[in-house]
Amino acid sequence: MSRDGLTRMTKIEVVVSGQDAAAVRELISAVGATGYTGLSGVSGLGHDGYRQGRLLFNSQATLEMLITVVSDDKVDALLAGLRPLLAETSGVLFVSETYVSRPEYFM
Amino acid sequence: MTASTTHVQVAVDPGLASRRARLRADVALAARILATSWPLESFIAVNPLAGLEDRPFTEAVRVAEEAFGARGTLSLDELRAHHGTGRITDSDLRRALLLRFPELAAVTVPVGGTRVPSVDTLLVDLLHAPSLPPPSRSVRTVAEAVPSVAAAVDSQTTKWCAAYLDEGQAGWAMPGNQRGLYAAWRALAHRDRSVPGRVRRELAELPERADDALLAALDRLRIGPDEQRAQLRAELARLPGWAAHVRWRGENGAGVDLLSYLALRMTYAALLLPPGGARHQARSVVGQERSTSGRARFVADRLAAGPPTPEQMSALAAVLDRLPEHERPLVWLEAFEGHYRDELLTRLTGRLLPTSGDRQRPAAQLVTCIDVRSEGLRRQLEAVGPYETLGFAGFFAVAISFTDLAGGAPSALCPVLLKPRNEVKERPVPDGRDTAVRRLSGLRVLAGAEEGFHNAKDAAAGPFALAEAAGWLAGPVAAAKTVLAGPYGRARRGLQRSVVPPATTEVTAMDGFSPDERAQVAEVMLTMMGLTSGFARLVVLCGHGSTTENNPHGSSLDCGACGGSRGGPNARTATALLNDAAVRHCLADVGIEVPADTWFLAGEHDTATDRVRLLDRHLVPASHHGELDGLARDLERAGTALAAERCAVLPGARRSRSARGAARHVQARSTDWAQTYPEWGLAGNAAFVVGPRSMTVGLDLGRRVFLHSYEAAVDRDGAALETILTAPLVVGQWISAQYYFSSVDPQHFGAGSKTIHNVVGGIGVLSGQDGDLQLGLPWQSVGVGEQLVHEPVRLLAVVQAPLERIDAIVARNPVLQRLFGGSWMALAAREHDDDPWQRHTPHGWQPWSRPEGTA
Repeated sequence: MSRDGLTRMTKIEVVVSGQDAAAVRELISAVGATGYTGLSGVSGLGHDGYRQGRLLFNSQATLEMLITVVSDDKVDALLAGLRPLLAETSGVLFVSETYVSRPEYFM
Repeated sequence: MTASTTHVQVAVDPGLASRRARLRADVALAARILATSWPLESFIAVNPLAGLEDRPFTEAVRVAEEAFGARGTLSLDELRAHHGTGRITDSDLRRALLLRFPELAAVTVPVGGTRVPSVDTLLVDLLHAPSLPPPSRSVRTVAEAVPSVAAAVDSQTTKWCAAYLDEGQAGWAMPGNQRGLYAAWRALAHRDRSVPGRVRRELAELPERADDALLAALDRLRIGPDEQRAQLRAELARLPGWAAHVRWRGENGAGVDLLSYLALRMTYAALLLPPGGARHQARSVVGQERSTSGRARFVADRLAAGPPTPEQMSALAAVLDRLPEHERPLVWLEAFEGHYRDELLTRLTGRLLPTSGDRQRPAAQLVTCIDVRSEGLRRQLEAVGPYETLGFAGFFAVAISFTDLAGGAPSALCPVLLKPRNEVKERPVPDGRDTAVRRLSGLRVLAGAEEGFHNAKDAAAGPFALAEAAGWLAGPVAAAKTVLAGPYGRARRGLQRSVVPPATTEVTAMDGFSPDERAQVAEVMLTMMGLTSGFARLVVLCGHGSTTENNPHGSSLDCGACGGSRGGPNARTATALLNDAAVRHCLADVGIEVPADTWFLAGEHDTATDRVRLLDRHLVPASHHGELDGLARDLERAGTALAAERCAVLPGARRSRSARGAARHVQARSTDWAQTYPEWGLAGNAAFVVGPRSMTVGLDLGRRVFLHSYEAAVDRDGAALETILTAPLVVGQWISAQYYFSSVDPQHFGAGSKTIHNVVGGIGVLSGQDGDLQLGLPWQSVGVGEQLVHEPVRLLAVVQAPLERIDAIVARNPVLQRLFGGSWMALAAREHDDDPWQRHTPHGWQPWSRPEGTA
């Protein structure tokens, strides 16, 4: 696939419980990321077994996925905050390179 | 990398950016020791240790002991006092020990010339060994090395937080508060003459960002990265009430966060401490424990079986070693709980369910909130006539944002686990506009009078003029409110009714819910409580609230499922949906045939007066008026009987009252402005039953049990049970934990005595004039005088459903794994009414019955 004209950036995806999501969102904003995407009620199978998705009367107990895209200079700072947070809580972190067509949206 | 374009920008100092991010993460992690706090107007019961629920109960309690110096269980002396009264027996203790150490069941140890069951040696240790000293904070703030500085830091924190977080009670708002706590404080702090000039000069040079100020303070206090989190936690633990409230306000858009709060605190600490202030040393409880050999000597002496040999001492020490001294209160707690739980499950055993052929159509069905107080009302109503009762969370599956006739800010009437999903308003019925106009006009008159009174009271010279103008009246009124609470309350209600007459209104349920949502709510609610057939002609959805006077914690007595508000609007909304013809049609499509002659009616149980008000009676068809009048009479009889039952345990209520006298007494009590015990709220709560009413009907459960109706047979995919276990049960556990911790350590987890409460800015109460915000329940919610009334036990969930279904639900919901697996609550279950009860354990289901070797 051609990536001509695209700008390389870093995508960070975090899956945490709804209770911890606020701290992750705060960190993302604090390092200067311009935005994130949040998916609540995430379900899936992990090393602790299957995790239920959306619950009818409890929107705090399910997993939330937060996705952000940042320029390289912000990655270390974001990881410096996320890693101790995730060391103390259940959750997963994915860091990967990604390409965007409008880099100014993410700076 | 095959990328094409590299975007260039000005780099921020990467080291600083990482330090800031790491600091923010440490603040979030340190804050896990804090309770969740809500303002007084929406007081919600929560587990004060909710942030530690990912750890087992035992470990979380230990963390709290070290962080706050707070007790996580009753003291050994208090628990032993229960043994003295027979509330905890030797048999309960043996059983608790064997549940912990099943491998000891047949093991004996030689002592002197005999062999003693090993459990008995532990029993001697539990009953007679010396207690440990109370816990104390093991990590202290740096400022605590100099007590006067620590006090000054607390005082500055309280002052600035109260000024910034005020919710309109203060005459003047804090200048610049729209820019956030840190910016507003930074602009003003250097002008504060209560701190020395040297400190003011430094405060004038604070950095623009709160995180940079906090990093600077940490550097100045020589707190390195490795101890950063522990020190931040110690700072938060110093005034945990203020810190918890700051966090809540921050999450609700108040321009404040814990980082700013800590920047403020630690800046003062850094600037006020003399250079080189010494650190406090940790004092660990573990370090104070006696050696096991010392314990073994004590037990051997107590058994008086002759002098033990060194080998015997080693064997005895090996047994005692299994139970560290600091865990002894936990075994006592398990025995305390076991005694109640065994009795409850025994009472729920061997009760035969009526077959469907036995069922007559009841005179009416009353669906109440699951709240433990509803158990009394349900029992009393069932005793009065052929009524059926059911339990469901009091928001009746409608998570609404409600605006009443008077307008104003809407209220979120739903559990705090949810955000309101639908907007509902109260409006006059088409021919009720005149009544609405009169009511609104009366409300304006009252509001104007009240505002004028408060303005005069709060203005600089106003109080003098007010005293001149109204003092002659205010004195006698105050005397009447105090001495003649009952007649005064009746007179005031009469006056209020004449000034603010009731209006004939309805709620806009149809506007607030889409057609699909209406049908879904109706189906979910009826399926969850198993009411899918056998409908009576009248089905009442009965919310609840509590009428009290001069009670800052009043909302703690209202419905928790409605966000600490009265539940009438939810009941009105849900009944409007259930009476809708299109909704009934959709229900029929899924097999729920509601008879055409069934009418759903809203009600509201006042838990302070035991009266049930039937709402929207003007909407009831004439064909049902006969049943309606009969039901109203029977609800009054049931309420009167319930008042008599409650008066037997209300402080200061005379025991010999007639039932009618008791009804008058609770009515007067609810309007008495000096009454600190308007009702007992949810004190005594201990279990949560999920199953059909036939499990409990006819039993007096002493208003200690949450009752959620459930019929496994109509919940084919288990979705209803999953919803019950992940929402109402979770809220029940919050309530249970709030009462538990407010009881075991009222000083740290409770709110102190109501008699010395001062309300601060509408956000909370202080005990006296300053200090920390008091977050938990007041002492008057859990005890009288020096005596605890609430029994601090963890919640027992009792579920009648297929065990595999329960297992599957627990397996896919971490919240339940944490609560059951971490022993925050226990779970007993059976599939059928004639099955023996099973205990949920980490190793699968085990028979609940007593372990062998115990009585």
